[in-house]
Amino acid sequence: MRQQYAIRSMVIVIGLVIIGVGVIVQMVRIQNSEQAKIFLSQGDQYAGEFRMFHPERGEIYDRNGHLLAGNRTVYEVGVSLTEMKDADAMSYILGTYLNMTFEEVRDKLVNSPGDWTYIVVKDYVDAETVAALQQVLKQLDDADDDRLNGLGFKPHFQRSYPEMTLASNVLGFVTRDGHGYFGIEEKYNDLLAGIPVQVWVPRDPNKAVDIPKVPNGTTLVLTLNRDLQAKVENILDQSLLEYGAKNGTIIVMDPKTGDILAMASTPRMNLNNYTDYFQIYDNGSQYNRSIGMAYEAGSVVKVLTMAAALDTGTVTPETTYIDTGSIDVGGITIQNWDRKPWGQRNMTECLQHSLNVCLAWVATEMGSQNFYSYMEHFGLGHPTGIDLSGEAMGRLKIPGDSDWYPVDLGTNAFGQGVTVTPLQMLMAVSAIANDGQMVTPHVLYAMLRDGHQYNVPSQYAGSPISEQTARTLSEMLAVSLESESTNALLAGYRVAGKTGTAQIPTEYGYDPNHTNVSFIGWGPVDDPQFMIYIWLQEPTTSIWSSQTAAPVFSTVAEQTVITLNIPPDLVRNQYGSR
Amino acid sequence: MSPTIRPNKKVVMQATQIIHAYKQAPWRVQRQYVGAFLLAVIVLALVAALYLDLSARTALTGREIQELQVEITILQRSNADLVTELASLTASAVMQQRALELGYRPVKPGELDYVFVPGYVTPEPAILLAAVDETFHPNALPEEYSQSLLEWLDERVEPRRGMQ
Repeated sequence: MRQQYAIRSMVIVIGLVIIGVGVIVQMVRIQNSEQAKIFLSQGDQYAGEFRMFHPERGEIYDRNGHLLAGNRTVYEVGVSLTEMKDADAMSYILGTYLNMTFEEVRDKLVNSPGDWTYIVVKDYVDAETVAALQQVLKQLDDADDDRLNGLGFKPHFQRSYPEMTLASNVLGFVTRDGHGYFGIEEKYNDLLAGIPVQVWVPRDPNKAVDIPKVPNGTTLVLTLNRDLQAKVENILDQSLLEYGAKNGTIIVMDPKTGDILAMASTPRMNLNNYTDYFQIYDNGSQYNRSIGMAYEAGSVVKVLTMAAALDTGTVTPETTYIDTGSIDVGGITIQNWDRKPWGQRNMTECLQHSLNVCLAWVATEMGSQNFYSYMEHFGLGHPTGIDLSGEAMGRLKIPGDSDWYPVDLGTNAFGQGVTVTPLQMLMAVSAIANDGQMVTPHVLYAMLRDGHQYNVPSQYAGSPISEQTARTLSEMLAVSLESESTNALLAGYRVAGKTGTAQIPTEYGYDPNHTNVSFIGWGPVDDPQFMIYIWLQEPTTSIWSSQTAAPVFSTVAEQTVITLNIPPDLVRNQYGSR
Repeated sequence: MSPTIRPNKKVVMQATQIIHAYKQAPWRVQRQYVGAFLLAVIVLALVAALYLDLSARTALTGREIQELQVEITILQRSNADLVTELASLTASAVMQQRALELGYRPVKPGELDYVFVPGYVTPEPAILLAAVDETFHPNALPEEYSQSLLEWLDERVEPRRGMQ
């Protein structure tokens, strides 16, 4: 009996061992089969995903912390084709909410390539529309209705400009591919955009990794003063209407630091609708005329000619010149703006009455080598180096150039035959307002990154003239303004400046009927805190700067002193004496 | 003198045989094997339970991390949206319109009074210290999620050593 049990037990044990070994063998075989490799690779696909983390684009603020460019959430609306149950219902509902036709949506859903599992119906959908769609989706889910099965929303950022058109010429814009165009957005695109990071994100919670924090793009603080910018843009728009000008530019700069406080240009665009660009502008140089468009500025260049002459000792303010109404330079006769003789005049009066003949004489007395050397030191013909994209260089012909003629010395002296951008003029004349030191204009005040603020230091672009020359010329221009161009004056503040009325060159010579009017000025003369440049293109009510650009300067200066809290000279001097 | 007691050889031999028989009893050997087996099972069960507990807690924590990451992303988006919305509501044109509606008008130069304040320094441009250092630091992850069991035990023991 015991023997029988022993045999049976042995048989059962052997059987179980064989089965166990068989199971193990089968397990090993399955684990190492070709199919297993396929299954494993399929499993790996669902184990996680490589996810690209795009940092939030850095914001842009004005100098007082007002947001000029930020980000807002928009959505990509898509459909998982494998989960979709009812293409018709989906097309109808999405078409209604996404402002698309039924056929348009259905075509995407039904006629997509066979191996596609997901399709984007529409991108950059605003949050309100998505919220409404999510509400519909919830209602259907509650009712166990699967007609919107597969509908999904992927949020992402889109650039947003809360001030819309304000400072659009300075800011530039960002397209949907995330690239900045024009202005700050293009110049600092890499800083603003940050660096995207690709990370493997496992779905298994046991393998949850701490996703490295992708630092946001660098936030920029600009030198612009939002309130002053708004006022200046408003003044510019009013001026175009009042004087019938085609376009215009106004720049306000701190002459001591080069901070651009306001930079207005026409036309402007709502940056949230950047696709309007092609309807508004013919070419890129029009986007910001302050830096992108060079023109013959006319008599404002006389300031530089006189600065060079004073600095070389060619003339003093008291030097007199007998103006006969014309002068011969290089075999060509140059005349005054009114074609009349002005008799004996000192240098202050030459500036005061903006006498072409007198300034041409000053240039010839100085000599072409001195004259062009100074003009180069003033930065004419070179970019200013402002931190904005799309800067033009202008053109300064110099002796030796194939298109330079001796008469150019005479005409260049009063701003004809030399092209400059408004910003170039502002930079050059900053040497006179800033005791001989020329500043590099800039728009970036500071960068914010990793919780730290990095202030951008002011840069100087050399000292083309001495401090004494700068002060002497500043006084001459203040006196000449007080005597001649009263439209530019500002009650309570002593300002210096110069008008500029320039004929417009065409293929057939200078246009006799149209002009570009300009004005450059600064104040208060004893402690300059603002510099203003005005350019109005082809005004129709008057061709003269003294009647168009000069009063605009006065208006801008008035708003500038109010916005920047600059007290009148009398008050300031009283405080200064305490 | 006390009498010498001699052990009974027969009795001693019988006792030795009984003890030997007891020691070699089959049920006693079996019990030893069963005991050892049960002990191994208990140890394995304890290890398995500990492993299961740790795995479950790790999984829960991992899931929590994933949810917090999603929440962080949502909050960041919400924050950016609110900043932009606030800027839209306080945009220059909007504020100007609101001021006009409230009966304000632009000030003129002659209407301003300037007061001398000794020691007053004109404010510098805004320092936007609201920007927070958001860069990733390795220490940002709590130790519970990165240290090994031995490190954890060592940390638990270490403070007690310090108290001695």
